[in-house]
Amino acid sequence: MARAFARRGHDDETRYTAHLDADERGVVAELLRQVRLLIAPGGRGIQTETAGDEFDAIVAGLGADFGATPTVPDSPEGLGGRGLPDEPRDPALDRLFPSANRTDAEAAAEFRRLTESSLRSRKVAGLTTAIDVLGRARRDVVELTPQQAQTFLVALTDVRLVLGDRLGLRDDEDATRLEEVALHLDPDDPSAYAIAVYDFLTWLQESLATSMLR
Amino acid sequence: MSIAPVEQEVTSAGTDVEFDVPWITLVWNDPVNLMSYVTYVFQSYFGYSREKAESLMLDVHTKGRAVVATGPREKMEIHTEALHGFGLWATFQKDN
Repeated sequence: MARAFARRGHDDETRYTAHLDADERGVVAELLRQVRLLIAPGGRGIQTETAGDEFDAIVAGLGADFGATPTVPDSPEGLGGRGLPDEPRDPALDRLFPSANRTDAEAAAEFRRLTESSLRSRKVAGLTTAIDVLGRARRDVVELTPQQAQTFLVALTDVRLVLGDRLGLRDDEDATRLEEVALHLDPDDPSAYAIAVYDFLTWLQESLATSMLR
Repeated sequence: MSIAPVEQEVTSAGTDVEFDVPWITLVWNDPVNLMSYVTYVFQSYFGYSREKAESLMLDVHTKGRAVVATGPREKMEIHTEALHGFGLWATFQKDN
């Protein structure tokens, strides 16, 4: 049974610890790896060759159930009029790297050209660190230094943003709707599993963010 | 000691609008990012007090967006990039 993050110690000795069993760490690590694959420079989407693992079960079966934009990575049909004819792009990437200027499309394009590649590299490095710290857990205790804690916190954000996109979360009403849908889903429905994982990550991140607030 | 008439000090500025209009960094509401996390980002990145960070976070949450910084364009672009790094939905624009 997982136990949320809590802060221990002071100053340089501060540590953030949570209890996550091997299954829980495995699910989180697999999600971190899949999102890293999505974000890696040149990455254009979740690789369908790895179909069969949990994350693909999550990302594949959703969309339609919640009225989300259907996700067809690496497929022209997946563009959905996003105006990027030369680069099929996973919609989740537009959430991770959103348009930076809503009043000037040219400035937004220029900003993306100058920043996205290095942003992707930094996120990939952060996701790698997060995967590593999970792998170093002893006796189911995940222990983070303050610096690792911030990296882990941001990595959890990246995963939740991608999952949120897959679950069709575009505004606060969607989030409310999702909670209602979850109540009536068959527990064996893959969507129910996806929502449960999303809620678990939310709970984990909330505990870490709260314990890091000064 | 005398006090200079106020009018004398107002003459030089205002010839070029480009330099007078400041730029802003906006953060937009989204259904995924947690209130605690957004507060944390405003605190740790901008160095804002807990009170100011929470107030800005609540503006984002209730009004849909908040101006989190004001200044020259280059600085606003740097803030926007950093906030994207944190996964927040940030934009920069002229403060019209």
